[in-house]
Amino acid sequence: MKMMYQIGILFGVCLIGQTISVFLPIPFPGSVLSMIILFLLLYFRVIKVDHIRQKADFLLKNMAFFFIPAGIGILSSFDLIRSSILPLLTIIVVTTILTFGATALTVQGVITLQDKLARTGKGKGKSHE
Amino acid sequence: MSEVYASPFFGIFLSIFAFEIGVWVNKKTKSAAANPLLIAVVICILVIKIFRIPIESYNVGGDLISVFLGPATAVLAIAVYSQFALLKKYFLPILLGTIVGSSVSIGSVYLLCKAFHLDDALSRSMLTKSVTTPFAIAISENIGGVPSVAVAAVVLTGILGAVFAPLLIRLFHVRNPVAAGVAIGTSSHAVGTSKAIELGETEGAMSGIAIGMAGIVTVIISLFL
Repeated sequence: MKMMYQIGILFGVCLIGQTISVFLPIPFPGSVLSMIILFLLLYFRVIKVDHIRQKADFLLKNMAFFFIPAGIGILSSFDLIRSSILPLLTIIVVTTILTFGATALTVQGVITLQDKLARTGKGKGKSHE
Repeated sequence: MSEVYASPFFGIFLSIFAFEIGVWVNKKTKSAAANPLLIAVVICILVIKIFRIPIESYNVGGDLISVFLGPATAVLAIAVYSQFALLKKYFLPILLGTIVGSSVSIGSVYLLCKAFHLDDALSRSMLTKSVTTPFAIAISENIGGVPSVAVAAVVLTGILGAVFAPLLIRLFHVRNPVAAGVAIGTSSHAVGTSKAIELGETEGAMSGIAIGMAGIVTVIISLFL
């Protein structure tokens, strides 16, 4: 029954997240709300990680698998994008690289800046790694 | 034969079978390009096309698999929880990173769509390509895009992110795992995150946080489009 208990907790959290998302005025996915709710439950020690460990490990380790039907869904919109497939692919490749680079460099830059400020502020070096 | 296809076991079995081949090829070649998800999707599409199986029949089982995307996203909370000290410490860089990243994503998509003279509805469907599917569907509907095209753009972006994340980390000399995780989540949402989890717990947690934050930033920007 242990496994059933874990599945119960997770699906219960997802049901709450989904329900809240229906009533929100802005588009906000139930799955992301469920993630926030589960985080709060863990943070306030309502549930322990051990309560859902095995089920969570199974889902996280195989996360890519659950995206297969979404990937195959491309077939159903293929007629709409067929005529401009090359520009679309070019845009996707170029903008994904730009987004990745801009994000990574910003995060790394701000961390470096913070470290420098902390060092000059306190007068001593503090490494973060 | 159609009775066989129409059973939910068909879609589920085909997906598991294709994914296991993908995992096997990935282990044998040890190449990032041999991404199990990419291989699985290609195998499934080939089978569906060659045997002329209606997509609706595959989806009888496929929809059951998609149900688990909710819980699979939710359990990222565990990674966030166990990395909470890092999240608190680097909150500002993570916040600024997702804001800059999401803005660059929307801005560069907009400009390139203009440059390629794509029609308006198609361009509007592309703007949400870096956020996770449920965000993309809701936002693209609001701004006059086509949701099914938006989902296709999201999935292609995600697979691209999952395949090239290790390469992009080297290309941009990303040494900090926090920066790598946030970049993967902001640029390629949950599909990219499935790769980030493999790279390390910090990368996975930060990528998971970035999915939510990039989604919120994109919702806010979309209100002005």
